[in-house]
Amino acid sequence: MNTFSSLTPLLIIVAGALLVLILEVFLKKEKKDYLAYISIVFLLGSVYAGLRFWNQNPSYFNGKLLLDNFALFFIFILAIATILVTLISIKYIFLQNTNHGEYYALLLLALSGMMIMVSSTDFLIIFLGLEVLSVSSYALAGLKREDPLSSEAAAKYFLLGCFASAFIIFGLALLYGVTQSTDITVFVQSFADPNLSLLAVAGIGLIIIGLGFKIAVIPFHMWTPDVYQGSPTPVTAFFSVGPKVVGFAVLIRIFQPYWRAAVNTEAVFAALWIIAVLTMVIGNLIALRQTNVKRILAYSSIAHAGYLLVAILSRDNAGLLFYLMVYLFMNVGAFSAVIALSKKNKEYLELDDYAGIGFKYPWIGATFSIFLISLAGFPPTGGFLAKFYVFSTAVREGLITLVVIAVLASLVSVYYYLRIIIYMYMKEPSRDITIHTENPALFFVLFLCLYGVLQLGIFPGNVLVFIKQAVASIL
Amino acid sequence: MIPISYFIVLSFILFFLGIVAFFVKKDLLTQFMAVEIMLNAANLAFIAFAKSANALDGQVIVFFVITVAGAEAAIGLAIILLIFRHRKTIKTEDINLMKG
Repeated sequence: MNTFSSLTPLLIIVAGALLVLILEVFLKKEKKDYLAYISIVFLLGSVYAGLRFWNQNPSYFNGKLLLDNFALFFIFILAIATILVTLISIKYIFLQNTNHGEYYALLLLALSGMMIMVSSTDFLIIFLGLEVLSVSSYALAGLKREDPLSSEAAAKYFLLGCFASAFIIFGLALLYGVTQSTDITVFVQSFADPNLSLLAVAGIGLIIIGLGFKIAVIPFHMWTPDVYQGSPTPVTAFFSVGPKVVGFAVLIRIFQPYWRAAVNTEAVFAALWIIAVLTMVIGNLIALRQTNVKRILAYSSIAHAGYLLVAILSRDNAGLLFYLMVYLFMNVGAFSAVIALSKKNKEYLELDDYAGIGFKYPWIGATFSIFLISLAGFPPTGGFLAKFYVFSTAVREGLITLVVIAVLASLVSVYYYLRIIIYMYMKEPSRDITIHTENPALFFVLFLCLYGVLQLGIFPGNVLVFIKQAVASIL
Repeated sequence: MIPISYFIVLSFILFFLGIVAFFVKKDLLTQFMAVEIMLNAANLAFIAFAKSANALDGQVIVFFVITVAGAEAAIGLAIILLIFRHRKTIKTEDINLMKG
């Protein structure tokens, strides 16, 4: 079905971003939270417009932009993430002196870039969507203008982001030379040819390296902890979910047909295997010696990229989608708890600040603990089921060694997740911590994420039906 | 006519020079210029492939890449300016508040 209306979810978001940018001029500094509510209205409108296309498979621009169930599922995940991030930002940017009107517009524009990325199989379109996402992200990272850490984060993100983009576009140029096309399906078909030119192999390798920077796998992770630490915390929550989710969406679009079509998959398989092992092991080991909570969560998100790569290797798309969904709720939830512990012009980010928090602020302590044990992978949370699905499929596919390493690595991760909980409940408070508690939107998000994590952990059935339909649309 | 392999080899050389410069140079502006060279290496490859196959789309892609490079330059120079305002330097060894 080729119809202009398939653009509506995207157009609503872009229109929302532009409206927010215009209204910003007319609003006083104290009234800028209206912009957040306006962007949430547009986000919900976009989700509603997307829901109407479920199971319809509409497309436009000669099929360059298609809304199959797979794309729609990712649009829902990303829109939910953006709604949650918008809600946790309302008070934060006011308290931390980041209250620039362009904040919400940049979030919406970044989302529009991600929506373009997930709803195309043409790699040039994916690259352009990636650039829309990246350019907005660089600005978001540096939005705390008075804070030297924030500008340092922006500079590091910008340089390494551009570097990664250059890899992707050069890889695309090589694949274009071999296949005379920029479409992923055509690329993959060319790998069925046994005397394939070496240029195509180099091209796909460069593209995977570029995507590796975006999803932050080791050895392409060096920007992640610094950028996560320096950026404003809601933006960090956004970075830890958004670019990672779209990166994996693109990887599925590449590897879903690739594993079946290509004649010689061993080399790519081995390379991804090594990257997955390095990411899980090193990510978790470095996290052990961090004392800044944002950095701990940064290394934890690197380690989670490793577990997600296991799903790519075992061709388990349903498990991967479920994992990403759970990851969204537990990670945004954890960052919301970190944001909750802040007051005017001050954030509490060191582990020592968390001593005794569990008794002083029982709700924040309890929800944060649940998100942490979900990240560590204990039942009855979603984190356990997600890991269980991914690892059990990998065992069925015969990747025993990989699963053993993954389980051992996640055992190591339990230490640093539980360390935060131990600080919160078993240490005497050494510093006087006061926080700003009038933040209903933030507590709403904490509740929503808690609900998401427990719902997915105990009754995942409804979501799994959706995921099956989403995965079926790209077979 | 010059064979296409010359152009491809040249674009590979440019690309690797860009990578080397990115890691060797110790100042934000020069590193950014190194990335621009890598993007232009891709442009050269696109044009060469499009010319040899007599296809137009490769040449159109170059316009997209130039636009992307322009957008990146706009945001990048703003960020580098921000860094300079905070520390009066853009040397990478001085931009080290966070590590570990």
